Amino acid sequence: MILITGGTGFLGAHLAAHLLEEGDEVILLARSKQGLSAADRVGRLLDWLGVAANRKKNVHLVEGRLEHPGLGLEPDDSALISREIDEIVHCASSTSFAERRRAEVEAVNLDGLRHVLDLAERSRCRRFHFISTAYVAGINSGHCLEELVRPAAFTNVYEETKCRAEWLASERCAKAGLRLSIYRPSIVYGHSETGRSLLFNALYYPVRTALFLKNLYETDIRERGGWRAAEMGVRLDGDGWTVMPIRIMAEDGGGVNVVPVDFFVRAFGAIRERAVDGGIFQVVNSRRTRIEDIIEYTQALFHIRGIMVCPAQDMEGKPRNALEEVFETYLEAYRPYLRDRRIFGAEKAGPILDDKGIRCPDLTFDIFKRCLDYAVQCGWGTRLFRG
Amino acid sequence: MVKADDDILKTASQCRHYAMCKIDYLGTGLCPPGKRYHYVSYYPQGRMDLYAAMADNLIPVTEGLVHIAETCSLCGVCDLQCHFVTGLRPLKVMKALKDRVEDYLKAGGKPVSIASDEPLRCLRSIVGSEWATNDPAVLVTYANDPFPLADLKMPRYVVLPGTREEVAAVVRLANELGLPYAVRGNGGSVFGFVFSEGIVLDMQRMRGIVIDKDNWSAAVGPGVTSFELQQEAFRHGLRVNTAEPAATVCGNIVCTGTFSTWSYAYGTAADGFIDMEFVDARGQIFRLNDKQAPNVFAFENAVIPAPGICTEASVKLHPTSKDEDGVLVPFWDFDEAVALARELGRRRIGLAVAVLGIHYIANFMSPSKDLAGLLKDVLPETLGIRYVVFAIGDRFARESIQKLAGPVIDSGLWRTLTLGLPRLLDSEWLDLVKGFEAGRPPYEILCRPEMRPLVEAVLRPSPETLAAAVEEDLRELYTGLYSQPRFTDMTWLNMFRILSSRMSRRKHMFAFLVYVPLDRNDVINHINAEFARIAAAQGLDHDFGFLTPMDLGKRAILEYDYYIDHTDPAEREKIGRVLAEIGPWLDGLAERTKGVTFLKYVFSQGCSRKENFLYR
Ligand SMILES: NC(=O)c1ccc[n+]([C@@H]2O[C@H](COP(=O)([O-])OP(=O)(O)OC[C@H]3O[C@@H](n4cnc5c(N)ncnc54)[C@H](OP(=O)(O)O)[C@@H]3O)[C@@H](O)[C@H]2O)c1
Ligand code: SF4
Repeated sequence: MILITGGTGFLGAHLAAHLLEEGDEVILLARSKQGLSAADRVGRLLDWLGVAANRKKNVHLVEGRLEHPGLGLEPDDSALISREIDEIVHCASSTSFAERRRAEVEAVNLDGLRHVLDLAERSRCRRFHFISTAYVAGINSGHCLEELVRPAAFTNVYEETKCRAEWLASERCAKAGLRLSIYRPSIVYGHSETGRSLLFNALYYPVRTALFLKNLYETDIRERGGWRAAEMGVRLDGDGWTVMPIRIMAEDGGGVNVVPVDFFVRAFGAIRERAVDGGIFQVVNSRRTRIEDIIEYTQALFHIRGIMVCPAQDMEGKPRNALEEVFETYLEAYRPYLRDRRIFGAEKAGPILDDKGIRCPDLTFDIFKRCLDYAVQCGWGTRLFRG
Repeated sequence: MVKADDDILKTASQCRHYAMCKIDYLGTGLCPPGKRYHYVSYYPQGRMDLYAAMADNLIPVTEGLVHIAETCSLCGVCDLQCHFVTGLRPLKVMKALKDRVEDYLKAGGKPVSIASDEPLRCLRSIVGSEWATNDPAVLVTYANDPFPLADLKMPRYVVLPGTREEVAAVVRLANELGLPYAVRGNGGSVFGFVFSEGIVLDMQRMRGIVIDKDNWSAAVGPGVTSFELQQEAFRHGLRVNTAEPAATVCGNIVCTGTFSTWSYAYGTAADGFIDMEFVDARGQIFRLNDKQAPNVFAFENAVIPAPGICTEASVKLHPTSKDEDGVLVPFWDFDEAVALARELGRRRIGLAVAVLGIHYIANFMSPSKDLAGLLKDVLPETLGIRYVVFAIGDRFARESIQKLAGPVIDSGLWRTLTLGLPRLLDSEWLDLVKGFEAGRPPYEILCRPEMRPLVEAVLRPSPETLAAAVEEDLRELYTGLYSQPRFTDMTWLNMFRILSSRMSRRKHMFAFLVYVPLDRNDVINHINAEFARIAAAQGLDHDFGFLTPMDLGKRAILEYDYYIDHTDPAEREKIGRVLAEIGPWLDGLAERTKGVTFLKYVFSQGCSRKENFLYR
């Protein structure tokens, strides 16, 4: 049996579905949230994932929280895990970048990991799969290798704790004789063929923001005389497209390293199968998507004009308006990921994936459209877990 | 007797006795019979008690009750007044009370006439026949408060004296007859201290206010509420340091010394008055400025009785300037918020300052309990705000605060957020705001002046937007209220303390107040943590309330609040247990730590010099 933590999350859910599909029995660690019980949440999720009825019986649920020692499990659940599990897939994580949440992020990403490892050591488990991130590389402009790293600085508390977690997992697994595989995806978005996703942050956020603003000012123009839109220079063109003059400060080169979730899942499956002794694997895209392309896709998809990338010197002396401020704030937080020039090596993962014929697709307009259409249609994920 | 409607009875028993129905704080006028007859029984508050008392078969239908019921015209003023701060709708109780009495009479019931007795005749000879009574319908409204640990204590007489001489005569009579007595400032006390099995004196009729501009003072009678005095001062372009609007000025000084966010600049206790007049326990009148007067300026760390019944206070008036306004500085971290408050104190910046918890902010802003509940989650989770430093100051003070603190919510943004509150809580917008989070909390971005047009476009702030959050039949009235600029004016709201009663809208509030050394974050954090621990151990709702720097930031007053359903016996037991734990803990702490004083010991010593309890 395989214990999956973070099974109600984006990647964990997809990995759970994959393992069930492979015929494995899984134990999902889940918690109640927003007025929904853990069982309710897992039930909805399995339906969303389209897990076949005959596979659902292979799902066991244990309720717990990472920050509690022993994960706060009931004694029976704890005994079940000790007795039955062969592998652990540790996906659960706090993905907050917020420094003010440092204590919470550390409690989940470090103490939580310790608690999972405690459990692993008490069980017959021999393999530990740890879902990390390519961004443990921290602030680093060079080539990022598939090895443990100690960067001088990090962009945020998330990167920092994920990096510390890798070291922690390595030391503890080595001592306990557990085989450790560390998976380091870059930024994961929806399914490249169906567009489906559970999480709509990172790549989705600025697109969602653009759409929100478009809708806001369009309503203002159509229903309330449009003076608030005019204040921001927003107007409707004759062909019904919305003109939103927003300057986004340009920097040379770089782009965002994104992988679709189906690629990530297949890569995970292949690495798990081939690299039975463990190792560190970067699950990344060998080509980056330029921010300019994402802007172009967004404008084409939502009938927007006016968002433009603008050299820094052109912005001088012309202060940003509210809309530009919104995007600039976002860019500030995500700049290392959006204007990324780092090369993420895949010396270990690459050959396995090549051998299996698994290739990361580029983010084309078609894939982008599929993913964004799905996002809009599902209300940006808000409905699945609504209590 | 017919069974009381559950819903109506629930409303009646939820009355918090905040007496907001006894002041015209919304500008809608006062309950006409209350204004005319003065007894609390004629005010909506008393009527709520009467309905509950009838349901409990505590009182018969007396002549007094019939009169009380008949004088209510169902004008509806109390419905808005009460809803604004508590969310309750008392009008249905008023109607049910009338109906019950009418039904009783229609069914041939005779109102019970309560015979007079000798003490009552004596009391009436002092105050006039209208102003003393032994009718149970009146007595029962002076018999308890929502203080969960005090049982009903029915007085034998209620008397409303009109002059200090009458007060003195009543005291002498009580002594002669061997009757105990208690005085109630506004016919209400949320701590349940002021009851008597003998005579209750209600000072409602002594409502004189004489402003002496040249001496910067106002002579106020013991029936004058903080609200009324502030209104009078305001009319003269002046301000007083007042506390809860419905509390009487004299009662407040005697009881707690009057502390508020304005105590930051105006001080507390003996700082607040120039002179006071009392009737002592023998029925003799004295003023504090008599050389022979008892020394009430000293402080003893013990529960001791008040110096007497205050019959007049000469209160200090303070100047104002035209450019005063409010500002809020949001914080995630408590220590950082305290550090700013302390810094302002040391640098003497601003007139009123406090660190407020989110329960306060959420309730101040929200016209409904539900919205306040949502906002209380959104403030920390989405906006990154767990505390705010609230300040009132002139233009120079506000500029300094901004320079010291960085991003602030100024009065314009406050108004926008208040009037656009329902849309602020819209989930799509909140998701977007969440995305602002990076190294800095999202509120910093929201507070940027450049962001204002977007915030306004999203929230579309207006009285109508806000009013949409209350029950449909109240929307027009709320729109009317919020169309008046003062209802979003931080200075006005704070100097009249209009919104403070909203804190106990969800549940009855139990406030613990402690003077603390402001340079000792360790002590302050320990106090907060202990209050939290004790409440959590009993499963009681609790929250940090506020902290106001005093005396140039050397000391502060801290409030921590527990919230209970005072009608639930289980919660009553819990509060009994926590009180038993809190008393000895705070006493021990105060003994070991300079600057810590439990306000419990200041009660009744409110005339003392603040230095005597701040620097023991
Ligand atoms: N998505 C990406 O682009 C990406 C990229 C690189 C790496 N990663 C890594 O992939 C892993 C999964 O991320 P994700 O994108 O799937 O994020 P996600 O959707 O936010 O999932 C996080 C999961 O962790 C669980 N969790 C968080 N705190 C917990 C706690 N205290 N106790 C128990 N469970 C807790 C969550 O449970 P609830 O559902 O109950 O909240 C959820 O199942 C993370 O380790 C992340 O670092 C993700
Ligand atoms: S409805 Fe009755 S109790 Fe309420 S304010 Fe009017 S007269 Fe007073």
